[in-house]
Amino acid sequence: MEEFEEELRQALERRPAPPSLKRRLMERRRAQRPRSHAVLWQRLAACLVLAAVVGGGAVWHQREERRKGEAAREQVLIALRITGHALDHMNKQLAAHGRTQQ
Amino acid sequence: MTHDWQPDFEQLVDEHQSMVFSLALRMIGDRGLAEEIAQDVFLELDRRLGKIENADHARFWLRRVAMSRSVDALRRRRVRGADLWVEMEDHHGIHVEERTSPLGARLEQLLATLPEPQRVALVLRYQEELTPEEIAATLEAPLATVKSHLQRGLKLLRAKAQSHLKEYVRVKEQVSGA
Repeated sequence: MEEFEEELRQALERRPAPPSLKRRLMERRRAQRPRSHAVLWQRLAACLVLAAVVGGGAVWHQREERRKGEAAREQVLIALRITGHALDHMNKQLAAHGRTQQ
Repeated sequence: MTHDWQPDFEQLVDEHQSMVFSLALRMIGDRGLAEEIAQDVFLELDRRLGKIENADHARFWLRRVAMSRSVDALRRRRVRGADLWVEMEDHHGIHVEERTSPLGARLEQLLATLPEPQRVALVLRYQEELTPEEIAATLEAPLATVKSHLQRGLKLLRAKAQSHLKEYVRVKEQVSGA
């Protein structure tokens, strides 16, 4: 290795890390660990709330659809009943009219 | 893939903190920021410790991430318009540590004036004593590119050092003549 490269190699020897590096690193590591657990629990709780909201919404929607279906069915039955009465009435009138003609 | 290596984070920090800190310092030129980058690199290692296969892999990973984080920090700083080493030395009184050879101390400062890819290659070559092949693997760069950066960087640094030496001798002669 030529002289210049040797000089460069010596100039670029590793420097000792400051003692504060490891201490601060370990502090940051300790601080991050509980936070990461807390974040996990928060995420889990958020998932549960979301699942409850979505599930509740689905159940409510299903019940609402069923209620609307029942109401529509009831209306159709009433309409059929009214139509039946009207047809009976008309039949009776036609029969009465036929008897008077004879 | 399973591996039997059982890493001890604290031991890895003890073993490699000097390497990671020196890499960041040589790239950034600011002790405070270099320390911060070194901490970030080790915290990242802590999160990925399960994926590290052995001691060599840990050393390789640390070198690669330290260089990549340092380059990112340099670019962020450049975007903000700061002037790296010169600014830190001039305004914050941070000097290159005392060396036995004045040329050695000056070389370290001159290294900071080289283009970033050349500086990266030279730091890995002469601080870490990696071969060009190992540098190429660390930087995930073509071998020919790494060799070119090494040659150009060394040539430029030598030229700067020679010019500095001439200036040094001239000033010394003037001082002794006065």
